Amino acid sequence: MLELIEAALRRPNLIAFVLLLLWGLYITITHHNYVKKLVGLYIVQTSVIFFLVTTGAKEDATVPVILGGVEAPGADDYVNPLPQVLTLTAIVVQIATLGVSLGLVSRIYRRFGSLDEDEVLEKLG
Amino acid sequence: MTEHLPALVFLTPLATAISMPVAGHRRPALCRPIALIAICCMTVLSVASLWSVSVHGEIRYSFSGWLPPIGIEWLADSLAATMVTVVSGLGVLCLLFADGLGDRPLGGRAVPYYTMVLLLVAGLSGAIYAGDLFNIFVFLEVVSLSAYALVAVPGGRALVSAFRYLLMGALGTAFYLLGVGYFYAATGALNIADLSQRLPGLLDSKAVMGGLIFMFIGLAIKMALMPLHGWLPDAYSDAPASTVPLLAGLVTKISLLVWARILYWVMQPSADGGTLTIFALVTTFGILASVAGACLALRQRELKRMFAYGGISHVGLVLIGVGQANETGLSGAMYYLLNDAVMQCSLFVLAGFLALRYGASTLDELGRAHVRNPWAIVTFVAVGLGMVGLPPTGGFFGKLRILLGTLEADNNIAAAAVVLTTLITLGYFAQVFEKLVRAGSDSASAHQPETPWPLRATMAALVAAIVGLGIWNDQVVGLLVDATAPLGM
Repeated sequence: MLELIEAALRRPNLIAFVLLLLWGLYITITHHNYVKKLVGLYIVQTSVIFFLVTTGAKEDATVPVILGGVEAPGADDYVNPLPQVLTLTAIVVQIATLGVSLGLVSRIYRRFGSLDEDEVLEKLG
Repeated sequence: MTEHLPALVFLTPLATAISMPVAGHRRPALCRPIALIAICCMTVLSVASLWSVSVHGEIRYSFSGWLPPIGIEWLADSLAATMVTVVSGLGVLCLLFADGLGDRPLGGRAVPYYTMVLLLVAGLSGAIYAGDLFNIFVFLEVVSLSAYALVAVPGGRALVSAFRYLLMGALGTAFYLLGVGYFYAATGALNIADLSQRLPGLLDSKAVMGGLIFMFIGLAIKMALMPLHGWLPDAYSDAPASTVPLLAGLVTKISLLVWARILYWVMQPSADGGTLTIFALVTTFGILASVAGACLALRQRELKRMFAYGGISHVGLVLIGVGQANETGLSGAMYYLLNDAVMQCSLFVLAGFLALRYGASTLDELGRAHVRNPWAIVTFVAVGLGMVGLPPTGGFFGKLRILLGTLEADNNIAAAAVVLTTLITLGYFAQVFEKLVRAGSDSASAHQPETPWPLRATMAALVAAIVGLGIWNDQVVGLLVDATAPLGM
């Protein structure tokens, strides 16, 4: 058990990722306001993106662009660019989801005059 | 030329979707014919690619000539080619159906509506062909976003259902992406073929197991596996009648296909230890979903909800086949997946037809409606035979192979669950059939309107597909076995 905690403390990024993920899930599940649910969803998606970026991070490494020289680059000196490329795509997907969901929420508000799930369900009967 | 077919199949609907706002801006009435022509072209191309794959073997297409693992790969084996043919064929039928149904006119919203339909079909074909886990994520999200928007089209109650669907679906894709991240952290690869070579030594790793479980949770939400199915019945009963066949037939099936790809093409079932636990888990969830889904369907009084729960129970049946870790079970499950796509599509075509033409959306209303339409009754009989699983239809041969797979794996509980699901399915279809053909006075049938030709064509084609898949089951299963043979089970 102690070893697990020690291993986790050496990776503070992963602790932050887990906290963000659980926090977002908690907000999505417990809140009754549609916009707050969306905020929770956004935090969950952001935590996953944070995790992806973390996997590509390296200490004392630089951007993966080889300047001038002809010598073979050492893998330790450059960060892995792929997780960041994946992250860019994932952010685009996240923004598209946010756009669609805000569109839906604004139509729900115009139709039912409320953003509270209980009130909307009551009006639906 | 033939090696470019998989890319063309995907690009046809995508390019049309992007140019739709330009083409339909002045004359929204043109949108439907344009969409129909595009998906017809896609069907022709996908049939050509199926022919090419069955003659020359699988096509691995690398975009812009960048070879995998650096480039993006399209994996068009016979499983993908068959599935894309079914997707595009059902797309054509659903647009024809929408044409004949004379649904509420969309007016100025025709442009976004048909753009969404085309994007949905493009996303589906992309998710089928994609050769790496990350692109599967992107295309799943394209499919889901179009599906959320399409569910919300009627407004009112559908908005709330669509929002719930969106919350669940977006959490599902987030979990799937997290699983992909775990896999990447453990192996440094995303390409399916690349992963399958790096994974065997890493199966004890917690990261790989964790990633697999996160992907399973994410895909389970998307495929509406039993405890996570909450979004499906509401979304399908509130979505517009002309769109549901497309959603019900295809969207949940894609996640099942992706999960089968991950279990068999990325992981290797013959490998030791941990994977077998995952297969047992999948079988257990399959048993639970198939029996409980069928029981819930038996309780429903509303046709669309009954059919939706029937679909949930069939997802369980496919998972039982996938979970057997042998070739009979896998090819049976994939064959049943094709059949289920066609059957779910026909069920919701029927439900939409009965609701709009006869105002019958519940069992009691159906009993009073005196439906004397031969097209609807013949379609219902064919779908009923398929869903229950009786000989001339593809449903029978699919269930038979799944059952043989469970027996081959000595899994008697799973075999019992398949039989029990069949019996309960017979129960709820008998209910609907009894209401549909109940004898009424002849005066009621006198003023029944003529069925327009697109509706007749749709129903005839669906019946032909259900029966045809059964008659030529050897050939279709043979194609699927071609795809699974390299796995060396």
